[in-house]
Amino acid sequence: MSARFDVGVVGAGVMGATTALFLARAGMRVALIDRGELCREASGVNAGTLTLHMTRASLIPYAQAGWRMWMTTDQWLGSGVDAVATAGLALAFTDGEADLLERRAAVRREHGADIRVIDRQRALEIEPGLNGNVLKAAYCETDGYASAYLTGRAYRRALAEAGAAIVEQRPITSVEANDGGFAVRAATGERWDMQRVVLAGGVWLGEMLRWLGIDIPVKCLINQLIVTERLQRVMRTVVSVASGLLSLKQFANGTVLIGGGWQGRGDPVRGGVETIPENFIGNLRLARWTIPALAQARVARIWLGLEAETSDAMPIIGSLPGVRDAYVIGSVHSGYTSGPYMGKLLADLILGREPERPLFDPARLVGIPMPVHT
Amino acid sequence: MSSVAATDDDAGAGASGLRIGEASRGRQVSFLFDGRPVVACEGEMIACALACAGIRTLRASPRGGAPRGMFCMMGSCQECVVRIDGRMTTACQEPVRDGLDVRGGTIGNIP
Amino acid sequence: MTASERGFDVLVIGGGPAGITAATTVRRHGGRVALIDENVDAGGQVYRPLPPGFPRSSKPTSEQRAGDRLRDALASSGADTFFEHKVWGVAPGFRVDAVGPHGAVALSAPRLIAATGTSERVIPFPGWTTPGVIGLAAATILLKAQRMLPGRSTLVAGCGPLLIAVAAGIVKGGGRVAAVIDVASRGEWLGRLPALVSRPDLLARGARWMSTLRAAGVPMLWRHAIREVRETASGLDAVVGPVGPDGAPRSGETCHFTVDSVTVGNGLTPASDVSRVLRAKHRYDLVKGGWVAETDGSGRTSVPGLYVVGDGAGIAGAAAAEHHGAVAGLAALHDLGRLDITVVRREAERLGAKLDRAARFGRAMAGMMAIRGAQVTAIPTDTLVCRCEDVTRAEIEQAIDDGAREVNQVKAWTRCGMGPCQGRTCGDVVAEIVAQRVGGREVAGYFTGRLPLRPVSLQAVTGDYVYADIPIPKAAPL
Repeated sequence: MSARFDVGVVGAGVMGATTALFLARAGMRVALIDRGELCREASGVNAGTLTLHMTRASLIPYAQAGWRMWMTTDQWLGSGVDAVATAGLALAFTDGEADLLERRAAVRREHGADIRVIDRQRALEIEPGLNGNVLKAAYCETDGYASAYLTGRAYRRALAEAGAAIVEQRPITSVEANDGGFAVRAATGERWDMQRVVLAGGVWLGEMLRWLGIDIPVKCLINQLIVTERLQRVMRTVVSVASGLLSLKQFANGTVLIGGGWQGRGDPVRGGVETIPENFIGNLRLARWTIPALAQARVARIWLGLEAETSDAMPIIGSLPGVRDAYVIGSVHSGYTSGPYMGKLLADLILGREPERPLFDPARLVGIPMPVHT
Repeated sequence: MSSVAATDDDAGAGASGLRIGEASRGRQVSFLFDGRPVVACEGEMIACALACAGIRTLRASPRGGAPRGMFCMMGSCQECVVRIDGRMTTACQEPVRDGLDVRGGTIGNIP
Repeated sequence: MTASERGFDVLVIGGGPAGITAATTVRRHGGRVALIDENVDAGGQVYRPLPPGFPRSSKPTSEQRAGDRLRDALASSGADTFFEHKVWGVAPGFRVDAVGPHGAVALSAPRLIAATGTSERVIPFPGWTTPGVIGLAAATILLKAQRMLPGRSTLVAGCGPLLIAVAAGIVKGGGRVAAVIDVASRGEWLGRLPALVSRPDLLARGARWMSTLRAAGVPMLWRHAIREVRETASGLDAVVGPVGPDGAPRSGETCHFTVDSVTVGNGLTPASDVSRVLRAKHRYDLVKGGWVAETDGSGRTSVPGLYVVGDGAGIAGAAAAEHHGAVAGLAALHDLGRLDITVVRREAERLGAKLDRAARFGRAMAGMMAIRGAQVTAIPTDTLVCRCEDVTRAEIEQAIDDGAREVNQVKAWTRCGMGPCQGRTCGDVVAEIVAQRVGGREVAGYFTGRLPLRPVSLQAVTGDYVYADIPIPKAAPL
């Protein structure tokens, strides 16, 4: 019979890992459990874009706070993820896209982002490598990027120092409420008992919530990411497009990472298993259009990351309805940027403190089916 | 990107004596490596033609800046990657052609 | 009509002996087949053709004749061939994407035969990345397909049958071999004789190579391995020292060789890129050369419609590969319902017997090429393991110290395997290093298969297009 924890966090992505970290530092006995390794799913394979351009407007204050945390990891995490602050540009190549840019920028300004639309000449001054066909660009001074694959290593050290129990390679099969709290069981037969439980399982959240009798559908997106071999410098900002379907950045090592949410095939059981050739070609065509110098770049690797999405495309963070001492955190678009901040807010809630910003009540989505896309 | 100094440069083309049965090769071909002319025989791969001309350093490693050149000869290891007329490609799989502009050097960390 | 509309029954990736016979077998029984290979003509690595314009010998070797025979058979078979095409993508069902001299090509067929051969394993030592140090397979290609010596004076080292093949080739080509350094002992080779006598022609060829080397006074150092190669003013200085049967360095006298080139190879590993990308089940087999797709006798994998044949399914040699490809060609047609089971049984039985006989020799050679774990254990900590990204053994060990338990985690934390070679050069060695610390190969795993199968430029993949051609999927909400 394993010892009892004050809290168990199921799912060690950046959200769960951050929640666990701050709870452990506050003196709780914490178990952080994952089906695989720390921060190896969405948190470890995303494009690392730290941008306000592609963040949902209402999540902008959270993304800004998260951005600040990534840029100051030495102050709260120890080691970092090579975060770099750069300007960010979102581009429009058609009149329709220019309108979209204006609307998106305006909405984001309302939510506190300093994003303004600039003309072609100014855009080319800021980013000389852009396609000269660009019509307009939205400009944000405080964007940037990180190397997501370094996340797990950074958190591991901090969690170990904080005294959290890190439990990896343990796919969980059930979470059961009982008199003392909760019992979490793994496929291996192992079991952990805890007073409180936090469900932080990303694309596996739907299944986890069902264990506790809560029906909130969670969709699993299969996001394509492409990285080139090392190149000479071809860009220096973080670049996206009005539709949100491209992200581009060049790391200090010269590789260029191409994202934008083009889909591959897969599911939460098998993971991302199949690149869709048309989407690979389409994503590259958009990238090459945007930064023409990429034509001669060679692709070194394509991979697929799983991203969770709820029926209203907004996060689920907070206490679970009808279940005492149970919490959920996840399903945040561009969640890597705001992840550490969201995790800290939830930790505050669990510690009995008032989180400095509102959370995202999961009760709103109970029983709401996924919209059907035509 | 400028090339790495080839410390193992030898006397020019043909002097290395690495070609087996040199006299009876095919047509002579001339291309440029980092702006220098190299004479080769039709059918040879760029990496081989360069080696026969005493040039084995094609680029530098990304973090250490150490000299690198052909290794596997089958387009797998990517150690012989050069830029040919602007394209990054494996020199071991690219046949020589008259007038090709081949550039060595590699891309390490961006300063 | 695009390539994908031609209605192929079978696609074959790889034009070596296995791929060729897979294609010709499908053709012989009326199937439509396309064969894709990145070289200018078929033959793979073992039967690499001489470039046009190179003088042909008036007395071709048996190997050259075998290669010509296979190339002729393919050319007259009616198979569609896509040479100089680099395959970058495979998708279930199956679709194969490649780039060739005239642009991008996409082919589809319900059956896919992967005959992609092997890559060479080189166990790192200090100085192994110095220009002038090349693989044994690389030297073989220089000699056979480019009629070129690796250097004026060459040290030949490693293990397996390529050692004396390369050494003899250098001597016959007019070059000097400073020594042959074999991690095996003479006794180990003699112990293989019972299997080798199944191919008296190959055995005789080996004996001729040995006498060529003896006549040239080439020293043979058994139970030795390279310790280090250094670049000096007078060329490459190679330090060679004794090893035990497990490949571990032993105390004893080292010797120095000053040469201008070193060719070193420690066996071949099956190329499993295609089967890993398609998520077939794999298992680790030391003698087969590493992780291989689980296959039945006909090359069928756990993915219906996907077959893996030749050395890519496990080292068994070129002769076995010919029969293996034919067996899979039959199986693919039968599985499509295009071939009667009685025909298949009769042919498969005949081929199966030939395959087993041929494989005896090849598998004995595979045994001589199997990785010797202690040789990997001995890699010094400051030696580079990942050439593409300059990652040392020390960094890999640090990642394991920090909690990495399998190779993909090591890759995420060290960048080992993230470079353009996509882990082909270092993968087996990294897996062995990790395995020795985490409790075996099955725990350490292998690099997850990802596209592209080879680096491919944006220009080659995207071709000519305008902005309106880009199919923008539905955007996320504001």
